[in-house]
Amino acid sequence: MSKERVSRRQFLSYTLTGVGGFMAAGMLMPMVRFAVDPVLKAEAGGDFIATPKKVSELTDEPVRVDFTFKQKDAWYESDVTESAWVYKDGDKIIALSPVCKHLGCTVNWNSDKEHPEQFFCPCHYGRYTKDGTNIPGTPPLHPLDVYPYKEKDGFLYLGKAKPRKEA
Amino acid sequence: MKWISQEVETYLNAKEYVDTAVVPLYSVAIGGEMKESAEAAEFIGLLTTHLERQFTGRILLFPPFTYLKNDSGEKVLGELKNWEVNILEAEFKHVFYITSDIEWRTRENELDGAVIWVPSIPLEQMNDSQKLKMMDSQVKQLLALFTQKWHQKA
Ligand code: FES
Repeated sequence: MSKERVSRRQFLSYTLTGVGGFMAAGMLMPMVRFAVDPVLKAEAGGDFIATPKKVSELTDEPVRVDFTFKQKDAWYESDVTESAWVYKDGDKIIALSPVCKHLGCTVNWNSDKEHPEQFFCPCHYGRYTKDGTNIPGTPPLHPLDVYPYKEKDGFLYLGKAKPRKEA
Repeated sequence: MKWISQEVETYLNAKEYVDTAVVPLYSVAIGGEMKESAEAAEFIGLLTTHLERQFTGRILLFPPFTYLKNDSGEKVLGELKNWEVNILEAEFKHVFYITSDIEWRTRENELDGAVIWVPSIPLEQMNDSQKLKMMDSQVKQLLALFTQKWHQKA
């Protein structure tokens, strides 16, 4: 979820409106995802986060890669786990966000028998081609987000998933 | 979608797509079986969080329905039925109850929604990546079950 900034004036007005205002401010708090293995935790690598996946293990078949990092807000520091569908396309690596662009379910690779070799969303039967392009006629209106990546010491590092430009 | 204001707002704008309510059922024991009771709640909590992540766009995860373990079954069932009536009135087509309290197996027939009984697994001894793996496999099984129910009553 996106964090929204509270301007000084807004903040003051929240404070001045008392409890009601405070509740409004509370809505902007980011959600807390649940915790996972500290061993997989990010080492400092700029905005890139280490995954447990070796680049040499990747093939042209998408696999799920989970990775964990710390997220901090004013109250908690929490571990957040995200996933990516990752495969090789020639010598490029493609890392797609599994979050469906319709309403946010998690898409799976190749799980719909009638439409093999696609990403499939079980919620409202959204589909995407292997490169993440949404298939017209299914609910999603945008392609899956893409993670920027890096290779370091043989491991895959992922950045922050970004929306792809419409084709 | 979770029971937080921002996501409930998303829900209100996308009601026609979010046709499934998920209600965790927590039995609270005070005294002797307190620890087992907490363990079960922790397990179901983690499981439903994970489930919500898989199905964000189609389910609304309600706050848990919580009752005392030594309350009479009739009373507890009556209260849950009341939740159910309200939920169904609010345009949800499917209701799933998720619990590790075995008592609900016999009460399922009295409810419209489906009771999914999952035996609680103690999480204490597991490290976090084991937990994640285990939740993943549980959610996979639930995925099959949900998809099947959705098909039946499309
Ligand atoms: S959330 Fe994926 S198709 Fe609706």
